[in-house]
Amino acid sequence: MRRTTLILAAVAAVIVIAVVLGLTFLDRKTDEAATRQLNEPAALKAIPARAASPADDGNWTMPSKDYASTRFSGLNQINPSNVGKLQVAFTFSTGTTEGFEAPPLVVDNTMYVVAPWPNNVFALDLTKPGAPPKWMYEPKPAAAAKGVACCGPVNRGAFYSDGRLFMNLLDGHTVAIDVASGKEVWRTKLGDIQKGETMTMAPLVADGKVLVGNSGGEMGVRGWLAALDAGSGKLAWKAYSTGPDRDALIGPDYRAPYPQDQGRELGVSSWGPEQWKIGGGTVWGWLSYDPELKLIYYGTSNPGPWNAEQRPGDNKWTAGVFARDVATGHARWYYQSTPHDLFDHDDINETILVDLPTRDGKRFPAMLRPSRNGYFYVQDRRNGRILSADPYAHVNAYGGVDLKSGRLIPVAEKEPKEGRVVRDICPGPPGAKDWNPSAFSPVTGLLYIPHLNICMDMGVKNANYIPGTPFVGADVKMYAGPGGNRGVFTAWDPIARRKVFEIKEDLPLWSPALATAGGLVFYGTMDGWFKAIDANSGKLLWQFKTGSGIIGQPISYRGPDKRQYIAVPSGVGGWAGAIVSADLDPRDPTAALGFVNATKDLKQRTTKGGTVYVFALPQ
Amino acid sequence: MSSLYRNSLALLLAVAALSACEREERQSRGKPLGETVPASVSPDTIFPQTGKLPPLHPRAAAYERNASAIAEGQRLYSWMNCAGCHSHGGGGMGVALMDGKWRYGGRIDQIVASIAEGRPNGMPAWRDRLTEQQMWQIAAYVRTLSGQAPKDAVSARTDEMSGTPPATQTRREPTRPADSDQQ
Amino acid sequence: MNRRIAAVAIAGALLASCNGVQNVMGGDGAESANFIRLFTLFMVLCTIMYLIVVAALLAALWRRRRSGLTVDDRRHHQISPIVRPALIAWTALVVTGLTVLTVASFFIDRSNAATASKPAIHMTVTANQWWWDVEYNLPDVSKTLRTANEIHLPVNVPVHVTLKSNDVIHSFWIPNLAGKQDLIPGRLTDVLLLARKTGLYRGQCAEFCGVQHAQMALDVTVESKRDFERWYSAQLATAKPPATPLQRAGYRYFTTRECAACHNISGTPASGQVAPDLTHLASRRSIAAGALPMNKGNLYGWVADPQSQKPGNHMPTVGLEPNELHGLIAYLETLK
Repeated sequence: MRRTTLILAAVAAVIVIAVVLGLTFLDRKTDEAATRQLNEPAALKAIPARAASPADDGNWTMPSKDYASTRFSGLNQINPSNVGKLQVAFTFSTGTTEGFEAPPLVVDNTMYVVAPWPNNVFALDLTKPGAPPKWMYEPKPAAAAKGVACCGPVNRGAFYSDGRLFMNLLDGHTVAIDVASGKEVWRTKLGDIQKGETMTMAPLVADGKVLVGNSGGEMGVRGWLAALDAGSGKLAWKAYSTGPDRDALIGPDYRAPYPQDQGRELGVSSWGPEQWKIGGGTVWGWLSYDPELKLIYYGTSNPGPWNAEQRPGDNKWTAGVFARDVATGHARWYYQSTPHDLFDHDDINETILVDLPTRDGKRFPAMLRPSRNGYFYVQDRRNGRILSADPYAHVNAYGGVDLKSGRLIPVAEKEPKEGRVVRDICPGPPGAKDWNPSAFSPVTGLLYIPHLNICMDMGVKNANYIPGTPFVGADVKMYAGPGGNRGVFTAWDPIARRKVFEIKEDLPLWSPALATAGGLVFYGTMDGWFKAIDANSGKLLWQFKTGSGIIGQPISYRGPDKRQYIAVPSGVGGWAGAIVSADLDPRDPTAALGFVNATKDLKQRTTKGGTVYVFALPQ
Repeated sequence: MSSLYRNSLALLLAVAALSACEREERQSRGKPLGETVPASVSPDTIFPQTGKLPPLHPRAAAYERNASAIAEGQRLYSWMNCAGCHSHGGGGMGVALMDGKWRYGGRIDQIVASIAEGRPNGMPAWRDRLTEQQMWQIAAYVRTLSGQAPKDAVSARTDEMSGTPPATQTRREPTRPADSDQQ
Repeated sequence: MNRRIAAVAIAGALLASCNGVQNVMGGDGAESANFIRLFTLFMVLCTIMYLIVVAALLAALWRRRRSGLTVDDRRHHQISPIVRPALIAWTALVVTGLTVLTVASFFIDRSNAATASKPAIHMTVTANQWWWDVEYNLPDVSKTLRTANEIHLPVNVPVHVTLKSNDVIHSFWIPNLAGKQDLIPGRLTDVLLLARKTGLYRGQCAEFCGVQHAQMALDVTVESKRDFERWYSAQLATAKPPATPLQRAGYRYFTTRECAACHNISGTPASGQVAPDLTHLASRRSIAAGALPMNKGNLYGWVADPQSQKPGNHMPTVGLEPNELHGLIAYLETLK
């Protein structure tokens, strides 16, 4: 009798356990996008830096939405309950088919579409049905510039300020356009394509200055950030990323957070003789601005050439983050995320300015950086000190960041050597995340990061320097990292320092993200799907297949009819999409600096395009 | 004569006869008084009256099937940073060279003209930066990327990580300008 | 009579190979001095053993003639009483000899290793077809010196040389200073040079590496520490700008035409990395990797037509106009 009871009890226990386990797994069943809910977000939330992120007025005047680079829209008409009904309101074709990265800007019921080469700008009248063009600006940059643009003749956007649009042309000019007439007000030449310099980044206008930087880290170009007077276009100051202190504007105010970045003439002494002149450190990515501290934050590109054996030393001031005074350009602090970079791990990714809650209720001025080298840095934006640096992707090329010394820990067996091929280096050259910026939602306190899961094999060789030609010295082959998915969308909690959810994507994610107050996050895939996910859970709520792969920034604005609109550029290209936009041959895995091997199937999944799609809820 | 003596003599004569076989001529400096490069050989296909492409440049034969010229071209392709834009034929900043699409023509003299003059969408002009002989050598190598050269003249391997099939197994792609995508 | 002349001639030829600059028996470096010690010991010991063996052979022949013994002799011959002790002595001699040689070898190796463990200067030599890329690597990377086809060494200072190759297998050999060491593409090898005597020496590639392997030499200068430092700081300086119009014409040609695509002259826009660094070309003793002594005529001949001097090497014959050539040579001669 007792034996039977025991057996029955055991069986009952097994059944209960099985049911509980089954329910648990059932609960975790996900939708077709393989979302993984990993952790609960922390109770305390970061908020965007107040002075740098004013309330949303329904416009979108700069690619980053605000100086704090939140890419967050305060509009909440579209929310998880109605986004399933989102439909196309109108479209606009730019007539170009290069990689389309720039977000459209919306100011006072006019939409400004900035196209890649030939860098035409269109003003669309949103008050009229179908948003017809008001004017078209055709700057006619030099076609030869396309031959020295490493990663597609793209343009990352214009900046609206004070009745003018400011943007860069591929062939090294910065222009100011009067938005009423569409006429060019001034054009300043800053870059020389003969030396391999181009300009692709979106300017940032602050304190009456237009801040722009060059591209060309793969061409042996010497990098710089320049400030032009917004009224006249004249050069106010220029800060180089390599070379003597007087060129890099390192003065008595400069205080590095860590000793290895403090010293005299480090921009010369951390290179072999004369190497800093062709050393890279270009400024082709994103700038943020703190109006209270009056500091500009930006990162510098990789050092050149990729073959690190040719440039012994830490190679300052490349692959690091600068904070500069906006009025004079003088550096306040600098932190080198990746000294003596071995893998093309630029540091030009966006810096999001947030205030972190402290235990005594105050706000701590911080900055968030999902960096290319795979680490998510949270730093004090007054002085650059690192609060935390955690890997947000699979990293085996580094052993972590030593928080005491601030130094990245290298891994000796992943160091490329001339004449040999080093395999399975993660992350690959585009890093854990490339230029495409993330979005921060103050509602959830999470940073939404569209990024990559790509590793590489790398063989380096002696690079020859001929101005106007690449200065690289490396053969690279990229492929998917562990898991087989090449892209991943992560929601990261900067206070809890961990992923809250992640969505695996087959193709690399090369599009920026948009977060809205309605509780949605938008991003696009390289085969053209524009997706809306729930900001809390990551569940896919809506998607739409556009005509070409999406690598451009989605925005949200309030139209003249007071309704919320979502706009996204569709047109594959850039470094990841070069196989389609430049019609490369998939039989060569090293083509496009190794990316072709990782996107061999892209030609079967999408074609070139150049159209802006604007979505709204049905009337 | 003894049989051994006869056999030895026969062998000796055979060796002497074989040594007269032609081996390829290697010119270390091109034509003695300066190599020439063709002025642009049109990639067009409409030629009023003649209806035919201009004849192949006379210097083409010295480079097209010449193993040492192709080997030198392979070295220069890497040294002059051709690989930086065109990779190992797949392209990047520059167009793919291993396919059958030739906007400016895929004949060796048309390739040499492209190298010397540069092309509007960003191909640099190398005249005065490379000697004419070097440009012919590079063009001879570029032709092997799309399988144009005889398989006994090409180099079987690259000097660095490439991942493309060896030139001895590359399929021959078309080179007529009519097959290119003109835009 | 003829035989004596021949003997003298052979001796003379052998001695002539003992000419100073590129001499295996020079013994001017720690490793080569060690080598000569070991070599001499081996020669002496082996000569003695050889002479003993020859003497024993002669004795055997002499004894046989005297005793009239033949092979067919069926009589048991008396084993000479000397045989047994002789054999014992011989075995003892061989064992001693081998022990001496082994021990000597061991100590010489240890001596070489000891000097190799404490290098004061680090260099990297990269071999290319058919020239030497020489780099001095100091802890301060901004004081790295890059030159070509020549090495300067301070006397009595151990110098560690890392050896690399950009193309095929070469071999680094400065006979007066040390033995050969291969430079293998994709690998790092190394050699330690510890020069004991100041002077001028010549090194050479010692592994067949292509059509111009025979003309791939290296000028080595061993000098006092102070002279070395003076030379080093002079070499770190960038090239002086051209002064006369002819030099300016040459500079213009160099930096805008073919030359700058391959060559580097620090302080000018010419930054090519695939050919010898020319920043201080005029201070070298030879050009074309030791193929030609440095003088105006050779410089003219080399720049005008490198393929005639060293056919098959990677510097092309450009086909310069006479004025261009004059300008270039005028400029190159200022690169002291």
